Amino acid sequence: MKRKVTTVVRIAIQIVFLYSLNELGNFAVEAFHLPIPGTLIGLLILFILLSAKVLPLQWVEEASSLLLRHLSFFFIPIAVGLMSYGDLLLHQGWLLFLLILISLWIGIYTTGKVSQFLVREKESNQE
Amino acid sequence: MDKTIMVYTLIITVGAYIGSLFLNRKVPSPLTHPVFVSTSLIIFVLILSNIHYKEYEGTKDMLSFFLGPATVGIAVPLYQNRAILFRNIIPSFAGVIAGSIVSITATVLMLKGLHLSSELIRSMSLKTITTPMAVEVASIIHGDTILTAVFVVITGMLGAMTGPWIMNKMGIHNPLSRGLALGVQAHGIGTAQAALEGRLQAAIAGVAMGVNGIFVSIMAPIIIPWITK
Repeated sequence: MKRKVTTVVRIAIQIVFLYSLNELGNFAVEAFHLPIPGTLIGLLILFILLSAKVLPLQWVEEASSLLLRHLSFFFIPIAVGLMSYGDLLLHQGWLLFLLILISLWIGIYTTGKVSQFLVREKESNQE
Repeated sequence: MDKTIMVYTLIITVGAYIGSLFLNRKVPSPLTHPVFVSTSLIIFVLILSNIHYKEYEGTKDMLSFFLGPATVGIAVPLYQNRAILFRNIIPSFAGVIAGSIVSITATVLMLKGLHLSSELIRSMSLKTITTPMAVEVASIIHGDTILTAVFVVITGMLGAMTGPWIMNKMGIHNPLSRGLALGVQAHGIGTAQAALEGRLQAAIAGVAMGVNGIFVSIMAPIIIPWITK
């Protein structure tokens, strides 16, 4: 039981740390008028801290893997927003759905084939 | 009063998610994808309980709070897999940029061909980048921020549901390519899906999501207003 509590506290502290990096990123974006989202700056800062061995991996590993494993959960309430667009859905729902699916598959095909082709090219060159 | 509704909707949301995880484990299929099942279930319960989406926003804001730290946390698998990424930096970048441009162009062309409103086009053109970024860009290009977020999540959900299956059909088997495709097209939800295939796929999907996010965030404010004029 006591062990469980310390794990929860440790993960909570790690999340607070990740959150402050996120806020630091947002602050940097505002201060320097950067055209990129603040979370990305936060991600970059964390990557640099880890690469430079300033920050031990164990300090953020648990929270990061927990959040990543359940990343889709945090999107669910946004998807529920769909209920406010009943009218749009009723009239164009199927069409929009189909459009999303088509452009999605075209995109998956392009990214997948282009990268797979280049990886194989590279590997056959090295042999 | 508001507090009671928030506690109630929070319990429904967490309950629906846990239930859908169990269902997906028992009956693994794209149709039992946790985001799809939970969302449908929550909307159903909210309508039955006569709760408007406005009253659900407290729960939404609370859970959306975690999207920022979770996105920052992608630096961890990225760091752990940096060697493979750096070795394949050119195929990765080329795949991400090509897929991003082709998919957004296809979306805009189809919507224009159907003569849909320019606000709808603007909101939908951002559908492949992760929510915290898409919402920021949507306000810059005067799209509808809520609608943008909804499109983002539906795209991610459909990408995670159909992505692994369609990639098998298309002959995309390289783990790096699978991670890239999921990250570019289905952002965070795709990254979570990629994590089920392996840690490498998850890390690569995270990178793809980030690179695509930066690319679209920079390009969209320049190009989208011009083509939706």
